[in-house]
Amino acid sequence: MPVLNDKQKLMRRIQQSCFALAEANLYLDSHPTCKMGLEYFRKHKAEKEELEKEYNEKYGPLTAVQSEGTKKWEWVAKPFPWERGEN
Amino acid sequence: MWMYEKKLQYPVNIKNPDPALAKVIISQLGGPDGELGASLRYLNQRYSAPSREVQAMLTDIGTEELAHMEMISAILYQLTRGLSMKEIKESGFDTYFVDHTTGIYPVAASGVPFSADYFQSKGDPITDLNEDMAAEQKARTTYDNILRLTDDPDVRDPIKFLREREIVHYQRFGECLRIVTDMLDSKNFYAFNPAFDKK
Repeated sequence: MPVLNDKQKLMRRIQQSCFALAEANLYLDSHPTCKMGLEYFRKHKAEKEELEKEYNEKYGPLTAVQSEGTKKWEWVAKPFPWERGEN
Repeated sequence: MWMYEKKLQYPVNIKNPDPALAKVIISQLGGPDGELGASLRYLNQRYSAPSREVQAMLTDIGTEELAHMEMISAILYQLTRGLSMKEIKESGFDTYFVDHTTGIYPVAASGVPFSADYFQSKGDPITDLNEDMAAEQKARTTYDNILRLTDDPDVRDPIKFLREREIVHYQRFGECLRIVTDMLDSKNFYAFNPAFDKK
């Protein structure tokens, strides 16, 4: 495994928590009253929101609407994720 | 509607370009069991789904397939970076290069361009869900074949992730089929089309 920088490490945690959410989402689509599933979803949702907030503050927006720049449109300031080392 | 997130669902970081391998993996973008066809299949079928659960599943899996299309495209992009003309000719990538340079265009490994013929939207949820389950297995087989064709761990890692997703989606579509048949008369599930015929 390559050595990850701090930005990539935070991105990995976001990807992990988004993956947990995506898995729970599909499971809940066919099991919409499962208490354990709902609890699992809520736990990871809170975690994802916190991690994304940290990422936005340190490294810029993950969605165009998260851009907050007053001098420069931040969405075009950061690379897209298909570049090696940017995901 | 949709919103784009500037991240891959699972990381793709490939050290060594390999245009011959890109020419094979491109089938999971524009081939008969690729991610583009998967996404269009589910996102088109969802309107005639007879329950909220199945509508949600087709929407959410169809959306995830768009993220898989992006991962496959990132693999192709990174496998074809910085190529010399010698590498392009010797790898056999020249037959793709002549039409597309190193741009990403949905074709099968055979070179046949993507076609809507690769999927159906039949307006009958039992028919559609059986197609969806078969489609997930076909894509799983294609990923198995890709894994037989490369030793590069940087490529195998994201391909293994995508292969696993086919298995999970198969399971979820099976549950959807169960939800649909539970709404019907068990003596004959096929007596009428629950999305069209009025009971």
